[in-house]
Amino acid sequence: MVFITALPTIATMVGANRILRGVAVTNPVGDPQRERADELALRRRIVERALTMLASPVEANTVWEA
Amino acid sequence: MVKVVHYLNQFFAGRGAEEAAGSAPLRLEGAVGPGRGLGIDVAATLVCGDDYFGEHEEEALEQLLGWLEEDEPDVLVCGPAFGSGRYGYACGTIAREAARRGIPAVCGMHPENPGVMAAEGAAYTIPTEDRVTGMRDALPRMAALARRLAAGEEIGAPETEGYLPRGLRRNQVAGKTAAVRAVDLLLAKLRGVVNTETTADFDRVPPPDPVADLARATLALVTESGLVPAGNPDRLESNRAHSWFAYPLTGVDNLAPGAYESVHGGFDVTNANADPNRLVPLDVIRALEREGRIGRLHETLYTTTGNSTPVATAAKFGDDIAQRLRDAGVQAVILTGT
Amino acid sequence: MGSPPPNDHLASLSGGPATRAERASGRRRDLPLEVSTYAVSDVVAGPETGFSAGCLTVDCAAIERAALDEPGLLGLRVRVVRPGDPVRVTNVLDAVEPCVKAGDPTTTFPGAAGTLSLAGTGRTHRLAGVAVLPTADFRASHDVTELSVYPDGDSFVDMDGPGAYLAAWSRTTNVVLSFECDPAVSLAHIDSSIRAFTLRVARDLAATTLDAEPDDVETLALPAVDAGLPSICVVLQVASEGPLVDTYLYGRSLEGLVPTLLDPREVLDGALTAGQYDWAGSRDPTAFFQRSSLLLELLRRHGRDLDFAGVILALGYLPSAFEKRRSALLSARLAHQIGADGAVLTTFQTGNSHTDTVLTCQACERLGVGTAVLFAETNAGLTDWVPEADCVVSTGNEEELVPEWRPQRVVGGETMYSGRSAGAAGPVPVVSYLGAVCQMGDMRLQAVSW
Repeated sequence: MVFITALPTIATMVGANRILRGVAVTNPVGDPQRERADELALRRRIVERALTMLASPVEANTVWEA
Repeated sequence: MVKVVHYLNQFFAGRGAEEAAGSAPLRLEGAVGPGRGLGIDVAATLVCGDDYFGEHEEEALEQLLGWLEEDEPDVLVCGPAFGSGRYGYACGTIAREAARRGIPAVCGMHPENPGVMAAEGAAYTIPTEDRVTGMRDALPRMAALARRLAAGEEIGAPETEGYLPRGLRRNQVAGKTAAVRAVDLLLAKLRGVVNTETTADFDRVPPPDPVADLARATLALVTESGLVPAGNPDRLESNRAHSWFAYPLTGVDNLAPGAYESVHGGFDVTNANADPNRLVPLDVIRALEREGRIGRLHETLYTTTGNSTPVATAAKFGDDIAQRLRDAGVQAVILTGT
Repeated sequence: MGSPPPNDHLASLSGGPATRAERASGRRRDLPLEVSTYAVSDVVAGPETGFSAGCLTVDCAAIERAALDEPGLLGLRVRVVRPGDPVRVTNVLDAVEPCVKAGDPTTTFPGAAGTLSLAGTGRTHRLAGVAVLPTADFRASHDVTELSVYPDGDSFVDMDGPGAYLAAWSRTTNVVLSFECDPAVSLAHIDSSIRAFTLRVARDLAATTLDAEPDDVETLALPAVDAGLPSICVVLQVASEGPLVDTYLYGRSLEGLVPTLLDPREVLDGALTAGQYDWAGSRDPTAFFQRSSLLLELLRRHGRDLDFAGVILALGYLPSAFEKRRSALLSARLAHQIGADGAVLTTFQTGNSHTDTVLTCQACERLGVGTAVLFAETNAGLTDWVPEADCVVSTGNEEELVPEWRPQRVVGGETMYSGRSAGAAGPVPVVSYLGAVCQMGDMRLQAVSW
């Protein structure tokens, strides 16, 4: 499991092991400030990073940036 | 004369093993099974199947608490449940509800039983072994604490009295200011002696092995963002959610605004409702599925609201959903949080 | 280079050019702060403010009249309350210890109430056993919700009863200034008036000692010390979220603060003043800056078992993950730059400021600066945590309930935030008591596993 959240320290505290830093609390995998195409590209990057993390060995409570 | 009620599951009450796990609550006179070994007079024994409790918690509690209200015991004793998670959860839950209604309660179970958290600090838990071989050791310790609670005695610190910390954070006045303690601890740490007064004590799970072949894997989407079909057909709560829900994703390529919404009460949902894919990236996952980056998307979305949810409840949701995912052969999960 | 111009105030403080040895050690000659303490055994109202044989007389009427000249204030009642009185003081904004700069009283609380001058050096007189408590019920005259961040939660000092042990000021004799606010004037202006006025009252009370013999004199110095001692700094977290929820450095809001190095004696000597009225128990009242247990402890042990490297002032409650991480990085980099081996990290209030602290903890540890962190807790324990936070000091559980106390008198406002009467408030959470769980560590409250 990868947990995408804008509050990775809390995720670490509760013991999640694969943590991916999300954009914001209100939109973990989006960014309303961006143009549509740009936002979609961002979401894609985040999800691809999540897939990479799923396929990678990690130490406990690892946080990756998107 | 101390009045005690004892709670047991179907197995320890002699009603049968797994096949009786779905049995509804019942009330028996006097002590049953392990209750006879408590060494205190048990006025009545309440019994419920572990599966029944897990699947019909509200009805089970209504029935059991109703009997407790009629019986008016001085103390409720639950278990011991040892390592049995479902039984432990039932014990912790009924103990908590009884305690909140003014009936002090004592459970017995292994310290790592997920049921320990279910008591939410309202009831006491005596630590036991993992297996039923610990019965002879557990019963007198549970009975001793039960007697004292029934007598209205003040109970001391967990380490002194031999029960598990109830997760309470209780104030006391230290000898030195917190500042002086911080300086002392820091200097000791720099000398190599590391100590802390407080830590976060959530359980730890080692990281699972990486997914071997994503292109063949089934990936599921789970969220605590309160995402639901528009109109919230199942009435998911905005906080203190009582359940999680499963919604079909078959034929859904993206979460269209107007078709989905968030009911989460802990953040401003405007951005999310304008484009729910900002909470659960379904549009991108479908694209990646079409491109063959993942084998397939699991056809069910699991959702709840993660807002003021008691830890024990959230842990149970996690257990339940994980069970479903495992049964469905899912290998990978993306969980989105807010 | 010639001698400094004759009237250059700053140059006259500098103690002259650095000696060769001082330049080699990287330190200029130290500028010590000499603190004279005058113990006050009683406070009485009287026709003229003065101090004699341990008794402080306060001309309450004169103070009340002076408040009418201040913009935004319709009135002021001044009352003296003593330890053991059956009195609950409510709507307490701050606590200020009377102090005065003996060399030039007009520079007391520089920038905030006095003229600008370097704090933390020279001679300061302080009254022990007395505090000035400003109170104001803003809700009675204004709609506080019009502010983007507005204060919430009651603020009590109980002079007796089961909650008395929670506030430092149940043990001091308090000169309570209860302000009545003009609804026609903005809250920001009124607050500005209240803060400056309160600080001047505190100064004037201490100014009664200028010709008196002190009970104690302490010199706080930071000379160069043995290089083998561990170097310790403090990262002092403050908040600046707008009027009524702000902190002031030399009289100006800390909005936009980039982590900044201060001399600890500046903090003790009036450079930092409080203007935050949210959640009483986890605030840093001005008096806790003035008598900081943390800074005094480090100053007193400087040269004995540690080298006190300085205080880094940094914001908490930064509004985005990026800003939080940036500030954490800048604090850690500054700690590293000043040679700190270890840092004590304080926290301001609860909620997402705890994330600022844990990120700062991580950033420090990654640069080789060991940390100890001060956190208040809730019923659920810690609000945030990282594995690097392996040395956490608890300042208590702010949600624990204190049994009900029914005082005979309430000073400062009758109505609680809940709408209940402050005189019959029921059980009250620890966080309602001013400074009870302050995460600069001035109190002795601690939460333990139960």
